[in-house]
Amino acid sequence: MTGIIVDSVSRSFGSVQAVRSATLRAEPGRVTGLVGPNGAGKTTLLLMLASLLAPDAGTIRIAGVDPSENALAARRLLGWMPDALGAWPSLTARETITTTARLYGIPVPDAAARAAQLLELVGLRDLADSPAKVLSRGQKQKLGLARALVHDPQVLLLDEPASGLDPEARIQLRTLLRSFAAEGRTVLISSHILSELEEVVDDAVFLVAGSVVDAAPGQSTGRAWRVRLLGAEAARQNADSWQVAQTLGLPIESLGADRGGVLVGFDSEEAAALGLRSLVQAGLQISEFAPAQSALEHTFLTLNDPAAAAARSAAQAPPTAPPSPPAATDNGEAGA
Amino acid sequence: MSISNIRIIARLELTQRLRSVGWYVLLGIFGVLLLGVTVLAFAVYSWADFVGAGVFSIVVNMVLLLVVLVSPTLSGNAINGDRDAATLAAVQVTAASTGDIMLGKLAAAVATGFAFLIVAIPFLAISLLGGGANAVVLLVSLLVLVVEIIVVAAIGVGLSGLIARPLFSVATTYLVVAGLTIGTLVVFALGGLAVRTDVEQQSRPYDANGIVDCDSWETYTQEVPRFDYVWWVLAANPFVVLADATPTEFNADGYPVDMFGQIKLGVRTAQQPPVEQSWDECSNEVFEYPTPEKIIASTVPSWFVGLGVQILIAGGLFAGAWSRTRTPAKRLPPGTRIA
Repeated sequence: MTGIIVDSVSRSFGSVQAVRSATLRAEPGRVTGLVGPNGAGKTTLLLMLASLLAPDAGTIRIAGVDPSENALAARRLLGWMPDALGAWPSLTARETITTTARLYGIPVPDAAARAAQLLELVGLRDLADSPAKVLSRGQKQKLGLARALVHDPQVLLLDEPASGLDPEARIQLRTLLRSFAAEGRTVLISSHILSELEEVVDDAVFLVAGSVVDAAPGQSTGRAWRVRLLGAEAARQNADSWQVAQTLGLPIESLGADRGGVLVGFDSEEAAALGLRSLVQAGLQISEFAPAQSALEHTFLTLNDPAAAAARSAAQAPPTAPPSPPAATDNGEAGA
Repeated sequence: MSISNIRIIARLELTQRLRSVGWYVLLGIFGVLLLGVTVLAFAVYSWADFVGAGVFSIVVNMVLLLVVLVSPTLSGNAINGDRDAATLAAVQVTAASTGDIMLGKLAAAVATGFAFLIVAIPFLAISLLGGGANAVVLLVSLLVLVVEIIVVAAIGVGLSGLIARPLFSVATTYLVVAGLTIGTLVVFALGGLAVRTDVEQQSRPYDANGIVDCDSWETYTQEVPRFDYVWWVLAANPFVVLADATPTEFNADGYPVDMFGQIKLGVRTAQQPPVEQSWDECSNEVFEYPTPEKIIASTVPSWFVGLGVQILIAGGLFAGAWSRTRTPAKRLPPGTRIA
């Protein structure tokens, strides 16, 4: 098992260069996030990984198989969930799964059992016999996920799986993805909802204008932290800001305000930890102390800064380490 | 390629149709139409000895007409319709090969054409009660009808894989099919009428008293249309292929007994170049026109050429669509998204 290996893959559509010499790896047993702005080439890259689109240059290995050379073998190994489920209009959810299973060569009785099992897994049991076209967007996403899992794939490619899902379903999806990784499967997931992604991914790959960019430099730059004193409200905003600025020895103009909380810039996590300690030691009652942006979001936004991006594109590198320890950003609402 | 996958894909395609009410309404209307046609056909052929053969030929031609009229709508968006609905990629990413998908789609389109034939079976059976039908005629005409159904289905599926937008591919399928059925007829008629040559004709002159002068000839020239130059255009017409390929039965006077034979006679007559004609009122010899049976016997059949042309068109379009649908895709039809 080698997971996904993408080596200098390029693809253009006419004069539009969708993916430029992208190189990345997604390891088995880990969830890898594919992050990038709209039009960065995420879907094109996933289509190439899903053996539907041939790269113009470069090589792809899906669990050791090159989809350009042996598409069928690759397809048996990979499960692909597109960003929008194309549902056969007059089939029910159950028939959608059994038909897909049959197309993977699964015999009829096994296909029926598999459909029941997967619909249960994604929480569509009650809608199993409704036509797929009447499902809501979120329910279609669940059906799409069930369809991608029908042949028990070792490599999962998920394009925006969380869009349209309600909070409960998102938590279920997260648990599901973690359990796939725990079973040793490779999971590659693209998403715009970065705070969501951050909770589930082990690694992140940043794609900007078709190129994989190294996000590591983004980590060292400062970011804003949100400090909330116990019982904070809008009327007390100025008093709180003054208190925090005073304690940390910062000019009050450098502090921001956000829904009753105070925004403080720290250069690093160490600086933030020191700041928190001095606030607590000064006797301030802190009810919240967390990054105002998720780490991925922070990196993502600095990637879109053209000046920063230009400097970075010179030094392309394969996958980046997780941007920050997950505990530090867990939900952002945890009390300190 | 696997038979099982082709079957699953064809069934997937047909399920969409079988679960729509409109489809049954269409078949119902076709049944009512055939009922009317059968009744009228019995009236038309009531003078003849071979009523059954005549009615049978009309019902088969009706089925072909319906296939030509309706099939393009049902097969002309087989592939790009799925692309639009994002269901094509869902099948392509499974273990089903491009061949499975193409042949499954074709099988579904052909099955749709067969549905019309199945509705027509009771009427074909009734027509046989009229008597006079020949087993070889029945067999060959139905066989040709089946081939024509496959050809029209392949043209539709082929164009749906080559053209990005369903609307355009359906329209183009109609154009191609109409080109074969109506276009050939228009070219034949216009071409034949546009190219005229002078033909000499002779007859005996009459004097002022209205008495025939048997000692001299009066010669005059007449421009006649030359359909013999353009008759081959009709060869690719599905109705002509059906008529020309089916063996013709003749009655005692040498006239064809069914519609197949009558269409065949029309095309074969067009093959004959105009001949110099003379009317000799002084001779007792009766000028004998050749019987239809003799005309057909003395002219060349063209159905295999026409069918060959059709198969070439349908096969070419189908093969083109096949290569365009192959994955991992190198080139996409302009303006398409894979998913």
